[in-house]
Amino acid sequence: MAIEEPKQTLQDSKQANPNANTQNVDAVLFSPRFKSAAVMAGWDEEALIVATLVVEDTPDRQSKHKKRSDFVFKTPPSTNSRRKRRVQRRSPISTPVAPLKLDEEENSQQECKEESVEQKIDVKAERNTEVNEPLEQTPDVSCSSPSPALQCMDKLREELSCAICLDICYEPSTTPCGHSFCKKCLRSSADKCGKRCPKCRQMISNGRSCTVNTVLWNTIQLLFPNEVSEARKSAAGALNSQEDERGSPESGRRSNRRAQSVRPPMVISTRDAALAFRQQSEDLSRLVSMRTRRGTPSQSEDVALALRLQREQSMESFRRIRQQTRIPTPLSSARANLRAMASRAINIHR
Amino acid sequence: MMIGGGRSSSSSSTATAAGGTWVSTTSVSASGKRIQREMSELNADPPPHCSAAPKGDNLFHWVATIIGPPGTPYQGGIFFLDITFPSDYPFQPPKVVFKTRIYHCNVDAAGNLSLDILKDSWSPALTISKVLTAIRSVFSNPGPYSPLTSAVARLYLADKAKHDEIASEWTLRFAK
Repeated sequence: MAIEEPKQTLQDSKQANPNANTQNVDAVLFSPRFKSAAVMAGWDEEALIVATLVVEDTPDRQSKHKKRSDFVFKTPPSTNSRRKRRVQRRSPISTPVAPLKLDEEENSQQECKEESVEQKIDVKAERNTEVNEPLEQTPDVSCSSPSPALQCMDKLREELSCAICLDICYEPSTTPCGHSFCKKCLRSSADKCGKRCPKCRQMISNGRSCTVNTVLWNTIQLLFPNEVSEARKSAAGALNSQEDERGSPESGRRSNRRAQSVRPPMVISTRDAALAFRQQSEDLSRLVSMRTRRGTPSQSEDVALALRLQREQSMESFRRIRQQTRIPTPLSSARANLRAMASRAINIHR
Repeated sequence: MMIGGGRSSSSSSTATAAGGTWVSTTSVSASGKRIQREMSELNADPPPHCSAAPKGDNLFHWVATIIGPPGTPYQGGIFFLDITFPSDYPFQPPKVVFKTRIYHCNVDAAGNLSLDILKDSWSPALTISKVLTAIRSVFSNPGPYSPLTSAVARLYLADKAKHDEIASEWTLRFAK
């Protein structure tokens, strides 16, 4: 807008003595095409100046438009400048729109990835359950068909196994020397074989109070959902039978509910009944292990009865949670996307 | 229902993985599970010149063989060993006894073996495969300073040629 003033003066001077300035004006204002057209039409200088006020030049001459719009700037702004302004107005918005569009076009899974970030725990666990089905055959297949992906899986299995039980690490605990074992295995090793690392024989200062290596544990849960769920089931079964021997299942269920309410983010995001069941059993086992550590139970009741009670209880919770489920559409779509991703990944593996 | 199904399927899968040498029972202890795993691993990837398998139905009682390493007086001999697993196996070492007579300073007449990893230096991370490999390395490198049969150790230190001669003679007599 600062350019306006000099142009205005130019215009003034032009009007003062048009004859002297027409050449200048010609040179400055008109494109060669316009000039040739004017010559062909036989226009004189005045007509040319008038023409500048009325006729639009070819649109490729940007500088000219600006000037002309300045000439006419008391009249409503010309379509050109409006268009330009619109472009300017649009530009800050339009630039970020482009990558978004690209994302949408490229992969719709991106969305569910974003969602998965929001509900990390939920989706992670969900993926477990979903990867379950397609991965089911891999452990058996891995022995027979030596495709590179499966070899890699075998190596991972070897790498993530506990050296003590030779199974996939269940709740791995890492020693100060950097070796990982099942928490339970490491604890019994510390109890029975002394507080030394089973692998490198370095001293373990806190053999008893070992903590779970969460990163490793989550990785294992993602990679070997079948093995983990199986181990979890058997662990929960063993512990639950103990727990039911101790007291009524009612107390267990109540404490379960309490334990769930302690961790609201997980429970709220949980819409999957299977996940809830697993979670519950985890809670139970934790609870039971705490209880059994405190005092030795009398263990006089029938184990079969205890197991049956435990099953009933878990089935009931399963049903209850299923009734509660109100699956929001984005979540279900995300789940579907995840399932698709998982199956695709499996296909690549094969 | 779920729990029972899961457990039985897991044990049956390991049994089939092990080549069906062992029929799964309803419940398997932690040590039994570990021994099963070792068995399937031994079948899948046996250590060189060694073998091991359960004797019969008892998972805790195995028979192993070691072939005498070349370049030793035990070369070509097949040595049988009895392995007995304790009930809390990975946390207690297995008991290994030579069933084949061997002229070795670390093995006594009853076949008992003095090997540190089978006693104080046992670690639950050790497996039968590793134990057999260790025993085989003892064939090549006897430990005469911690002997079970001091006479053999003395001869080994004093006159290795004579020791080797007797050892190869024993190998020929008992292990072939």
